[in-house]
Amino acid sequence: MSRLSYQRLAKLSFSYTLREARAGEVKTLFFAVLIAVLVSTAIGYFGARLNASMELRATEFLGADLVLRGSAPAQPAQIELGRAQGLSHSSVVEFSSVVATDERIQLAAIKAVDNAYPLRGELRSTASLNGLDQAGGVPGPGEAWAEARLLAALALEVGAEIEIGAQRFRLTRILTEEPDRGRDLYSLNPHVIINLMDLESTAVVQPGSRVRYRDLWRGDASSLNAYRAQATPDLRANQRLEDVRDGNRQLGGALGRAERYLNLASLAAVLLAGIATALSASRFASRRLDNSALLRCLGLSRRETALFYAAQLVTIGALASVLGALLGWLGQHALFALLKGLVPNDVPSGGLLPALTGMATGLVALIGFALPPLVALCRVPPLRVLRRDVLPTPPGLLFVYGVALLALGLIMWRLSLDIQLTVSLLGAGALAALSLGVVLLIALRTLRKALTNGPLAWRLGVGQLLRKPGLAIGQILAFGLIFLAMALVGLLRGELLQTWQAQLPENAPNHFVINVMPHERDAFTSEVHRLSPSASPLYPVVAGRLTAINGKPARANLEDDSQGERATRRDLNLTWSETLPPDNQLVAGSWWSSDQGNGVSVEENLAASLRLEIGDRITFDIGGATYEVPVTSIRTVEWNNFQPNFFMIFKPGTLQDVPVTYMTSFYLPSSDESGALALVKQFPTVSILPVEALLDQLREILAQVTLAIEFVLLFVLAAGLSVLFAALQATIDERLHQDALLRALGARKQLLITARRSEFLVVGAISGLLAALGCELATYFLYRHTFGLEWSPHPWLWLLPIVSALIIGGAGLVGTRKALTTSPLTVLRET
Amino acid sequence: MSSSILIARNLSKVVPGTESDLTILDDVSFTLEKGASLAIVGSSGSGKSTLLGLLAGLDIATRGEVELAGQNLGTLDEDGRARVRAQHVGFVFQSFQLLESLNALENVMLPLELHGRDDARARATELLERVGLGHRLKHYPRLLSGGEQQRVAIARAFAAEPDILFADEPTGNLDTQTGQHVTDLLFAMNLERGTTLVLVTHDGRLAARCKQSIQLETGRMVELGTHE
Repeated sequence: MSRLSYQRLAKLSFSYTLREARAGEVKTLFFAVLIAVLVSTAIGYFGARLNASMELRATEFLGADLVLRGSAPAQPAQIELGRAQGLSHSSVVEFSSVVATDERIQLAAIKAVDNAYPLRGELRSTASLNGLDQAGGVPGPGEAWAEARLLAALALEVGAEIEIGAQRFRLTRILTEEPDRGRDLYSLNPHVIINLMDLESTAVVQPGSRVRYRDLWRGDASSLNAYRAQATPDLRANQRLEDVRDGNRQLGGALGRAERYLNLASLAAVLLAGIATALSASRFASRRLDNSALLRCLGLSRRETALFYAAQLVTIGALASVLGALLGWLGQHALFALLKGLVPNDVPSGGLLPALTGMATGLVALIGFALPPLVALCRVPPLRVLRRDVLPTPPGLLFVYGVALLALGLIMWRLSLDIQLTVSLLGAGALAALSLGVVLLIALRTLRKALTNGPLAWRLGVGQLLRKPGLAIGQILAFGLIFLAMALVGLLRGELLQTWQAQLPENAPNHFVINVMPHERDAFTSEVHRLSPSASPLYPVVAGRLTAINGKPARANLEDDSQGERATRRDLNLTWSETLPPDNQLVAGSWWSSDQGNGVSVEENLAASLRLEIGDRITFDIGGATYEVPVTSIRTVEWNNFQPNFFMIFKPGTLQDVPVTYMTSFYLPSSDESGALALVKQFPTVSILPVEALLDQLREILAQVTLAIEFVLLFVLAAGLSVLFAALQATIDERLHQDALLRALGARKQLLITARRSEFLVVGAISGLLAALGCELATYFLYRHTFGLEWSPHPWLWLLPIVSALIIGGAGLVGTRKALTTSPLTVLRET
Repeated sequence: MSSSILIARNLSKVVPGTESDLTILDDVSFTLEKGASLAIVGSSGSGKSTLLGLLAGLDIATRGEVELAGQNLGTLDEDGRARVRAQHVGFVFQSFQLLESLNALENVMLPLELHGRDDARARATELLERVGLGHRLKHYPRLLSGGEQQRVAIARAFAAEPDILFADEPTGNLDTQTGQHVTDLLFAMNLERGTTLVLVTHDGRLAARCKQSIQLETGRMVELGTHE
């Protein structure tokens, strides 16, 4: 007789899987993997599509998908590289220059653009001061478009002529909105746009002039990534590649957090499904111990038995994965259909990647969590057909947990939590599980002693746990993890939404004011406060250059193109204040007291980049005068709050006799725009910049992120509850058997109900306690290191033990009611 | 070529006990010819099932050797013994050992499919009809009576046309009358197919139907008898 070929064996295994599809444990395993893949795929698609849609909106802040920024023109090879990737390209050159008319001059921010500009978002302009603005176009050769405040400053009208350098331009339109204006919120000079073809004839850009070159790129993600990967190694010291995250602090923060949240939620979902997979795979294996022995008895070798069951698992995994990916894909489509009107219509499709990674996640979870039981299954000695007490030698603990941890690690790493975080989370998790396991073991043993003289129902119920403490601890940890995952995702959702709402309240400042002269200060302050009682205070602004640190040139010892080095190459906006601004927090040193000498407080990141420490003396050149000041404090700044923010705040009195203007920001309802116009008329030299459009864009994006997070939470909660029931189902066999036996011996239903209730209540309460503890620990770590949020204890978490005791107690009773309603004989025969 | 299919030489099985080693089978020897039938009898704990496990290559002896179908099992590893079982051995168990998730037909097809037989379905149907269950092909084990389950198990045991059939208390879970029917079927099919039969039982009447019998007491063979 010929041996079976592996191919034939795999085929046979496949057909047996289909025949066994009716079996409960096959269904449970199938659904565990299905849920893992469904949830990962749905969240993957939902996150990827919404993220892509958000980024699409966000790229409008940058005017492009990706920007190559530098202080010298990009090399032809660098441009060729982008074109070779099929990316659209546009060139922008920015510099400061004096705009002159026959009578007056004004310093302005000039932007020379080509005809392709902008690649994302819209350039809006109007033909007259009170006209309707329109999107599209760029100035033609010989034309200039300028902000209304330039016209006010130079007393010009549309159609007038201005000079920039050696070239004359006709002012043809008034600029109302530039897509890439967001990053220049704080720039003081009015903006002018000209055509790139006129740049040379201005003769303004000469070797040594301070000019910013920006090459804008637009294209699909893969081409952009390829370009980024190829271009990065050859970037010069004066060049940087930026996408929307780098380019805009407000958005970068919100998008980054949303993405990390979605990843964390997927991880929680996968963890949940992993627990379900582990439990159902273990049940799958334990119910096949006899079958495995029989197959060995019928002549299958160990290797063939392994292949037979591995092929079964692969079949189950593959079918569940394909179906799960399909359902996940359909699910997110249904979701987007439901949200029609709330999300943009042109949401990108998301491609195949989320489905493929969803399937890979499910299969990795299956392999990681089902491999150990499978190995045990293949070790069943054939003698078991004669003696049921013969059990396989279990695989080593290191193998069991090693494989599961490896699988989890792979999935976490895939979800872009970086390798260091993955390792530390896994390590901390393993350590916590180990130490909690030991504590639980001691607690259970203590309970055993305490219960010696307790009521029968409790001895029966809790005794069930005490008989196999290892198994009980495993179950409690599994349930604890399920509650932990759900609570964590729920908790973070609340915190993130709260943070965003705090960042952009309804009355977030939507007007920036600069160039308030000292003599206008008091009148302006009272006028602004009349219009907007919540306006920020007026901050003095002085332009100054950082020239030396501790007597040495500031630029020495600084990394090229680091934040600190860049700060030494331009004028910084300096201010002074008696009090620490409300959203700032000291991280080192102390705020000034009245008896203290001069001092300056430096923003935390800039201080780090400049390698500044408390007591270091830094020198500024302000209008030709030199000021040397000690660093007295270092503070954090909330850059996202749309308030005037400063890298350097001096002690009042430190800077004497310097040329100063004032800046502030305030909120005005859009219905009250006439108030702003009146202000412009009353204070013609003051520049008032409306940023409502920017705020609206930001709000729209945050609303989408919020939506994503709400639905992801729903996914995770649904997955958590279904996994909980699956997990209970997987541990119920033995309880059913014992209950049937007790009933056969004459136990009353009430006794059994009380016994079960006591057991599940204890399991639920301890799981809830572990979840609450774990959740506090995990949030402490995640808030600080991943989400940049403030952490404080969450007292309501301590309701978790009660909630989980009720849920597990209820679900456990429902799950085991079969033992009470079916004849004991039937149960005993089946289990 | 020898006509012996099963030879046991000085078989012993010793297992570690709590205080000292425990001998559960001690120096058992016999020879069985092809087509013969052998009953292993003895009280509970006398070592019957242990002996059956050693003879069928499910376990290995501490001392002595077993030669099954010309192969010395002691020289083979577990996979080698599995090959011998696949080629020569069929089993019937006291607890039937049917796969709960497969119906009667699928259970009988299992060994045929494991042998790569293309006619598995036809052959399994034929065997189930032979054991009187042609009308129960699609029934799952839990819907069959004990006697019916054992008849499915007998059909399965004969499916791969083994040279030797090991039966462990085949009537142990059945009432007398059903047990009688099952025994009749077992012996009839054994005769039809010229299979060698080794069965473990403590049922004297069943043992008496075998041509040879071994009586075990606390692991030792106290009697080797032949019946006409």
